Amino acid sequence: MVVLSAARWVRSRLSDRFWRVQEVLKYARHFRGRKNRCYKLAVKSVRRAFVRSTKARREKKRFLRALWITRIEAASLEHGLKYPAFISNLLKSQVELNRKVLADLAIYEPKTFKSLAALAQRRRQEGFLAALGDGKEPEGIFSRIVHHHY
Amino acid sequence: MFRAYEFYLVPHRLVAKTSLTSPPWPEVKLPDPVEEAKYHAEVVQKVNGLIAAGQYGRLFAVVHFASKQWKITSEDLIMMDNVLEAECGDRIRMEKVLLVGADDFTLIGRPLLGKDLVRVEATVIEKTESWPKVNMRFWRRHNYQRKKIIANPQTVLRINTIEIYPCLS
Repeated sequence: MVVLSAARWVRSRLSDRFWRVQEVLKYARHFRGRKNRCYKLAVKSVRRAFVRSTKARREKKRFLRALWITRIEAASLEHGLKYPAFISNLLKSQVELNRKVLADLAIYEPKTFKSLAALAQRRRQEGFLAALGDGKEPEGIFSRIVHHHY
Repeated sequence: MFRAYEFYLVPHRLVAKTSLTSPPWPEVKLPDPVEEAKYHAEVVQKVNGLIAAGQYGRLFAVVHFASKQWKITSEDLIMMDNVLEAECGDRIRMEKVLLVGADDFTLIGRPLLGKDLVRVEATVIEKTESWPKVNMRFWRRHNYQRKKIIANPQTVLRINTIEIYPCLS
């Protein structure tokens, strides 16, 4: 006789259920509570852990940058400069060191950081002098201040 | 009736002192340019002498490599998160040097230092893949989850030497 489909009492059953479960539990072994042993609870926790780690990889860059900025701010305040003044004047003097390296220099090379702060301070003062200009009033302006000539 | 006014003395005239007569920053006096130039020349000569005599200890450099800046010394290990088109054991010279320093002096580049001034050499040691990172996206109650395992190629370099030459001007 010709049989086109398998009989109803023949079922396809899993033989490697143990390894499929271990694949998930191996990522949950260091968790706290029953979710490091029980598969149903572990599946949810492991899924959340993976999603959180992907999102954290993007935010880690933001955290680290904020940390570097805090450190550079602290170091430049030790030398009498505020962070925006320090960074802007360094960039205006065409020194293109990024915040990671500046933070490392501030920790491990204090003399180099001091010289960079001095460079930024000098550029700042030159900027002030350039902003003042000649000291004369611009032409064609009628000033309301009364000039007393003594 | 005598009222004491505050007068701001500018050469040739007296002007009443307002909030805008003087700038909000303290007055700045730069040193004499001629004297400064002499002082700079002296310093440059001294540093040149130190470099030529070899009186510096360990040198550190800030190098721009693989779109990142690294603070390196000799015998340092560096790991890049990408592929380098060089075989293992190849010697590489890193050309974009931003800063070189020793104990007594630092050479700051604006933004780069000259190639005839610094020489940084490195060797490619290892080319591997990173540990398998899991990228997962999951929206609850929408039956949506995607799981991807990423292993980036990585290259490990060893910085052999950092040399400086006395060609400052």
